[in-house]
Amino acid sequence: MEFDENRNNRKTSRKKMIIIALIPLIVLSGMLVFLLGPGMSILNIGIPLPEITIEKIEFQNDKIVAFIRNTGPEGVDVAQADINDRMIPAGIEPSKTLSRLAEAKVIVPFSWIAGVPYEVGITISDGTRFSKSVEAAALAPTPNVEQASYFAIIGIYVGVIPVLIGLLWFPFIKRLSMNKYKFFLSLTAGLLVFLGIDALVESNGIVEQNIAGAFNGQVLIAMITIITFLVLLYTSEKLVERAKMKSDDNISKSNLVTYSSSPSTTKIPQKQQQQQQQQLAKPFAIAMMIAIGIGLHNFGEGLAIGAAVLLGEVALSTFLIVGFTLHNTTEGLAIVAPMAKSGGKVTIRKLVVMGLIAGIPTIIGAWIGGFLYSPIAAIIFLSIGAGAIFQVVYSITSWMSSNTSEPRKAMLSTPMIAGFTVGMAIMYATSLLIPS
Amino acid sequence: MSRSKIILVSLLLTSFLTISFVISFLSGISVIAQNNNAFSKEGEKTTTRETVVTGGHGTGYNTIRTTGDVLDSINADERTDLTIDPMKYLREFNYGRISTTDNGTTLRDFTIIAQDKNLEVSPGVFMDAWTFNGTIPGPTIRATEGDLVKIKFINNGSKPHTMHFHGIHQSQMDGVFEIIAPGGSFTYEFTAEPFGLFLYHCHMQPLEEHISKGLYGVYIVDPKTPRPPADEMVMVMNGYDNDFDGENNFYTVNGIPNYYMHHPIQIEKNKLIRVYLVNILEFDQINNFHLHANLFHFYRTGTSLTPNEYTDTVTFSQGERGILEFSYKYPGPYMFHAHKTEFAEKGWTGLFLVKEDQSESDVKAFTKGERAVYPPEISNNTFTTQTKTKDSQSTIVSYGESSQGGN
Repeated sequence: MEFDENRNNRKTSRKKMIIIALIPLIVLSGMLVFLLGPGMSILNIGIPLPEITIEKIEFQNDKIVAFIRNTGPEGVDVAQADINDRMIPAGIEPSKTLSRLAEAKVIVPFSWIAGVPYEVGITISDGTRFSKSVEAAALAPTPNVEQASYFAIIGIYVGVIPVLIGLLWFPFIKRLSMNKYKFFLSLTAGLLVFLGIDALVESNGIVEQNIAGAFNGQVLIAMITIITFLVLLYTSEKLVERAKMKSDDNISKSNLVTYSSSPSTTKIPQKQQQQQQQQLAKPFAIAMMIAIGIGLHNFGEGLAIGAAVLLGEVALSTFLIVGFTLHNTTEGLAIVAPMAKSGGKVTIRKLVVMGLIAGIPTIIGAWIGGFLYSPIAAIIFLSIGAGAIFQVVYSITSWMSSNTSEPRKAMLSTPMIAGFTVGMAIMYATSLLIPS
Repeated sequence: MSRSKIILVSLLLTSFLTISFVISFLSGISVIAQNNNAFSKEGEKTTTRETVVTGGHGTGYNTIRTTGDVLDSINADERTDLTIDPMKYLREFNYGRISTTDNGTTLRDFTIIAQDKNLEVSPGVFMDAWTFNGTIPGPTIRATEGDLVKIKFINNGSKPHTMHFHGIHQSQMDGVFEIIAPGGSFTYEFTAEPFGLFLYHCHMQPLEEHISKGLYGVYIVDPKTPRPPADEMVMVMNGYDNDFDGENNFYTVNGIPNYYMHHPIQIEKNKLIRVYLVNILEFDQINNFHLHANLFHFYRTGTSLTPNEYTDTVTFSQGERGILEFSYKYPGPYMFHAHKTEFAEKGWTGLFLVKEDQSESDVKAFTKGERAVYPPEISNNTFTTQTKTKDSQSTIVSYGESSQGGN
């Protein structure tokens, strides 16, 4: 009976809780109705300035297509379009009337010249003109087999092959002394920190150039980066825990000793063995996380390449490809470093799978970037990549410090600091090879 | 490394990629949907609204097809709040209410009202303008040398204005120091002298603002012995700065960009044409006029009956003007435009359509040929359909006499 009463109490209190939680919301909606309702003029202060954002410009056969969005506070009527400040009759789909955040496609018949800069202008009914420039006009890629295989080949060159080349360092790293190994491990961390920062800077650039203030681009970057970091941290911890539990099971089975699988209750005879197993499980997880993180990063790189082709921002030179190749080779190194000293069995097959996880997203990125470029999608991917990379760096450093009795001292040792610094420096140096 | 771990990790990876695809497609999907619009509509056998848009002044330019709206920056047809009816303005001369004073001098009374108006300065683009009698440019005022001109100026605008006439007159009639506040009025009185081509405009500071917002018009003083009969027309070269950045967005002759390209000025072969050409263009240092396939006699400021020059291009700074006389030897369409190509491309272009002895055949041929893309009906009553909103103008200007040309 007592139990039932308790339950009843809990039930009523729950109802109460819901009502209490809803009261402020009801008051708030009442206030919104009051402010926005008919006849209210309190909010009509000042003149709302219109804003049109030109998100993308495509050069097609004998026409220029601009993708625009009304990012101002109110609806607008688009009146005219111009190329290089010379008005030209154009079509606008679906309609010239754009409500807030609505988008439209403006099609201007125009014989453009490849490689020449152009400015597209949009004038709205009150005479305000918004414009966007393209550095060099280039025919927009159309999604066909030829173009898709072209992007695939570029993706393989700049993404897949370099990472696989980097994996060839595995035997070398495996044979290094512990100090030198630490150097290379922290070098990996340095490389990754650079890539993470690079991704954030890149996405910030996209926000500034292509995304209207209405979308709060910078906050979006920070939010996605942090969320990715936390989600991956949680997932990888779970992953390692599971692996450990399994290995614990194996140990207990083989030793025919029963003990709790809880990590807190460790027994002295098993500790060494268990640690060994843990050491094997964790580097693999880290390597896999690195591969995924780099994969996302390379996805962003692919997007950048595809979008650059689409937007006519860069001429894809062999220099660009060589630059990316050198730059990305270091990513392979980053993947193999944590596994090298684990002592576990590392098959070539596993290595190749990781290399492909890291490399293939470049191709997918190039397809999406080239055929369906969207600045919002681009910054989301880059931010996810950044979050993933920072999580990996966190895993590496915490793993390195967990193996010693004095974590602080270990982190500040000469090989660690030197490796980290050299890692960043290598990335910076190779990034100079990529024309931007 | 267990198998389940690999599965977990690859699951993670695929979920990331799936999310990425979804986001990309979401952002791309609307475009694709728009692209497919035409097809789906055709499939459903509903009426597909598809318009051909030409990227220039006629055939030969690139065209596109669109299921959406047309942003037509060139053709001003089907517009209602135009700054002016350029075709009416072209040959409209206001001679005022005529009476005679005791000593036998002709007195010409005019009424001009300054008013604020939101006008369509270019197709789809509106500007808060300041006007004389509701149009840009204001009405053309015409008198004969020696006449007494009386202009009752009423300021119904929201800012103080004046009327400053070029010509010879007393200081207090100069429209500089007598500032007319909103709701106020003033009567300017002066003798029309000397003969020539002049202009009037508001002289309030900031002058740049008061002129660029539309307060100007043409003032013609005829010599006592009239010039030879001709098909006379007024052309005012101006511009509009819609975004108020100190640069003109549009350039026009007689108020509307590109208007005469699609409503050619019809003239007769071998007939003397006289153009009263005035440059009031704000912000830009110069402006000019170029006539195709012909040359004209040029009378600078119109103050002499002897031409200064026989040329095909004349260049003015702001406030300069002159009279052009020419006739066409061959029938057909001929362009006239600013030879400053930027101005031409931003609207300062037009066409003369030279007719062979009143025959309509060329007009028809022209309509069927090059004008097929923009098919304005070229006939004499094309323009009357658009003048319905301009009725107020006639009540404001007190015409004693109004004529179409001086022939």
